[in-house]
Amino acid sequence: MARSVAAAAPEQRAAGVGRLVGRYGWPAVFLLPATVLIFLFFLVPVVTTLYLSLTNISVITFRHPQWIGLANYRALLGDPFLPKILGNTARYVVFTLAFNVGMGLLLALLSTSVRQRYGDQIRALWLLPRIMPPVVYVLIWQGLTREAPFGLVSDLTGLSRNWIGAQPWTVLILANGLVGASFGMLIFTSAIRSIPNDLFYAAAVDGATANQTVRRVVLPMLKWPIMFVTAYQTLSLLTSFEYILLLTDGGPGFYTTTVWSLHAYKLALSNYSGNVQFGLGAAMAAFLVLIGIVVSIFYLRIFNYRALVAEPKVEVN
Amino acid sequence: MKGIPVRLQGLSKSFGKVVALKALDLDVRAGELVAFLGPSGCGKTTTLLMVAGIYVPTEGEIWFDDRRVDHLHPRDRDVGMVFQSYALYPHLTLFDNIAFPLRLKKTAERETRQTVRQTAELLGIAHVLDRRPASVSGGQQQRAALARALVKEPQVLLLDEPLSNLDAQIRIQARAEIRRLQQELGVTSILVTHDQAEALAMADRVAAFSVGELQQFASPDELYARPANAFVAGFVGHPPMNLLKGTFEDGHFAANGVRLPLRTTAKGAGILGVRPEDMRLGGELPAQVLVVEPLGREALVTLDAGGVGVKVLIAEDRRPAVGSNVGVGYDPDRLHLFNAEGQRL
Amino acid sequence: MPLLPPRWRLVALGVAVLSLPIAAGLIWLLLSGVFDKIHGLLPVGRPTLENWRFLSQGVGGRPPIYVPLLNTALFAVLVAALEVIIASMAAYAISRMSFPGRAVYLGLVLVLHAFPAVSLIIAIFYMLRLLGLFDTLIGVILVKASLELPLGIWLMKGFFDYLSWDMEMAALVDGMSRWTVFWKVAFPLVRPGLLALGTFALLSAWGEFILPFTLIVSSQRAMMATYLQSFLTEAFADYGMAAAVGLFYALPVLLLFVLGQRYLLNIYGGGVKG
Repeated sequence: MARSVAAAAPEQRAAGVGRLVGRYGWPAVFLLPATVLIFLFFLVPVVTTLYLSLTNISVITFRHPQWIGLANYRALLGDPFLPKILGNTARYVVFTLAFNVGMGLLLALLSTSVRQRYGDQIRALWLLPRIMPPVVYVLIWQGLTREAPFGLVSDLTGLSRNWIGAQPWTVLILANGLVGASFGMLIFTSAIRSIPNDLFYAAAVDGATANQTVRRVVLPMLKWPIMFVTAYQTLSLLTSFEYILLLTDGGPGFYTTTVWSLHAYKLALSNYSGNVQFGLGAAMAAFLVLIGIVVSIFYLRIFNYRALVAEPKVEVN
Repeated sequence: MKGIPVRLQGLSKSFGKVVALKALDLDVRAGELVAFLGPSGCGKTTTLLMVAGIYVPTEGEIWFDDRRVDHLHPRDRDVGMVFQSYALYPHLTLFDNIAFPLRLKKTAERETRQTVRQTAELLGIAHVLDRRPASVSGGQQQRAALARALVKEPQVLLLDEPLSNLDAQIRIQARAEIRRLQQELGVTSILVTHDQAEALAMADRVAAFSVGELQQFASPDELYARPANAFVAGFVGHPPMNLLKGTFEDGHFAANGVRLPLRTTAKGAGILGVRPEDMRLGGELPAQVLVVEPLGREALVTLDAGGVGVKVLIAEDRRPAVGSNVGVGYDPDRLHLFNAEGQRL
Repeated sequence: MPLLPPRWRLVALGVAVLSLPIAAGLIWLLLSGVFDKIHGLLPVGRPTLENWRFLSQGVGGRPPIYVPLLNTALFAVLVAALEVIIASMAAYAISRMSFPGRAVYLGLVLVLHAFPAVSLIIAIFYMLRLLGLFDTLIGVILVKASLELPLGIWLMKGFFDYLSWDMEMAALVDGMSRWTVFWKVAFPLVRPGLLALGTFALLSAWGEFILPFTLIVSSQRAMMATYLQSFLTEAFADYGMAAAVGLFYALPVLLLFVLGQRYLLNIYGGGVKG
């Protein structure tokens, strides 16, 4: 097409870029910046993660890492804390996921049962934890969970504790859940709204109570969105650690709430056990990267056309 | 199934400022099929939805036999309804769709299976019960919707434009089948349609609506032969009646300078109605042929009779040429006279 | 979802109860920043400006507030700008041009969209050090913009797909080069998408913590997120001042929320079509 345009309007041919680009060049020009950045910050890091995991890189050997093969992985498997970390990760993912999907469903059902104006306000309110800067969000949680007389939770329950320290898992799951629920809420709301009104009328005439309508008509029609949200958020939860880092930093104490991704991060990037074990952290991260690649491809195959319909525009926690 | 009488008393419905239905009084006899007929927005569907319980009336009462139902949930009214879109549950097989109302009532599974099968056989869809709605034809979907409505042996059967999504060929057949079924079962039924042929063909009585008001409630023959006003006259019957505006004077009707002799004592401005099939070529009124539309068995001829346009239905083999001058005649006993407000004189 | 009859009171009650924590959190933030102390959600004493002294002076050895504030603002704006431009360029190519490997590229974008980018932070740390971009604003900006790209491309592609072909064909026949068509015809037409993506990227970058936390060390390049976090890690945290800082930091977001609730719902809920 560029060629015929060039023939038709000689003055355009003079435009420098157009001239150099020719027939196959235009897409390259448009794609160049994105391709460079994606290459640099997605593809290269994936390979780098794998590479680093096979070296003994640390603070000392930063400039000259040595190849040590699978030694990091063996060290990992032999780590006495590994079962604890795996358990924590499972606990974190399973419970937060249950909360996210369950609360998301509940919110979607409730907010679509009232007039749209009020439904919108409810959903907007639940969007707030997600758009709030994480550090501020965590600050609020800290403020509310302090000891009496300052912390609201302590005041209400009559038990004065620092609740983050006393019930770290509960706080973690709730805090992450309040952010994560909005993802499901929005997707399920959209799905519910696409159910034709006639089906609700028919169910009413058939004799269904509101409960029965939800259980037998609405929920079965939400099967795919539910699966999609579950799959997407499982992967997301496996690799996220921001709120955990800020709320409990993996504690209190040793590894109480440390999950896999957080442990990887700390091994590599904080002065944890004296010698920053970059390679070891990279090895842990490599697991996540590999899982991430496999699952992303897999879930996208299955959900591809559903994803097109649901169109999540949200980077989730 | 035994039909029960349905009574609508002073029924009206407004949505905010919009009045969808003005005060309606209407009695449906037990076992009767009544058609609510009218163009879009006339209030027929609104009324149906109030009978179903999906809309709550702004004013008025609805009685099923001796039970007042107008503020009851649809669940408690024992009605069956067929929606224009069929509203079949897409995730369930036809069997489960039809069984749905019975299962909600916690009917024993064996009995459910039996009843569903029987109803499906009655409607000729027993062989596709294990399929999902998306994998059967429109006609089969419609019958499944009907089966679902009938399976709980409702007191009242409501049908919202059940045939309008069907192909024209199937529609005629389905029409007769539904009517036959309804008469066999004897269930009181209300059918909403905008198709006057459908209403006339299926119903015992037809209620014609226009802009939220009932215009006439009578048998199809009544509506056809003695329409109560110009709206009904023009809406019922195909091709539509010729409605001419003019003045009634001694012994004739004057429209646009043309004088049509007729027997009447009426005087003043009004509307004269005469059906195309009640007119003939070869009469005294001079006219010029404008358009000839062959309709197979007949032909519809549009004529200009001295500045007044009329359509005449004639037998196919006697078609005049376009542009030719012919004479037009009419049967003076088959005229419909309306006053200036459209009311029958 | 018409549930008959609409059970307003029950549903309203249920939702109110569920939403209390969020409301409580907001109230806590507002009151804590303003008052000297609060017990639960009840303020004690008078409103105080002591909490806000960080606005006029560096606190506890930290740089003055305008440093992290400007850094964060610069970061957010540049990330959003880069994001919008680069993503729409790529999306335009994928949506409106044919080239060998188009399907593969689209597939790659889709896969990356679902891929958890945060797992790459360790490698990115290493790479930035090697490239000499560690502890620089440019480095974090590039990283953030890149990690958001798949989402951005996906979003903008949807908008470009929606445009009719006629205008572009007419423009090309008129003699415009492909770039001019993009810049003068297509780009302006997808403004709702650009706004949505821009807002999204802005909000995401404004709140970003992990990247500055990991990739920036010197206090001259601190961001609001790490600035605020330094208050949280103190032994005897001054909650009043921390809340004030937090309120200050979150203010633009809260403002946007109050003024543009509907809009935010749209862009996060996928309801915005071109």
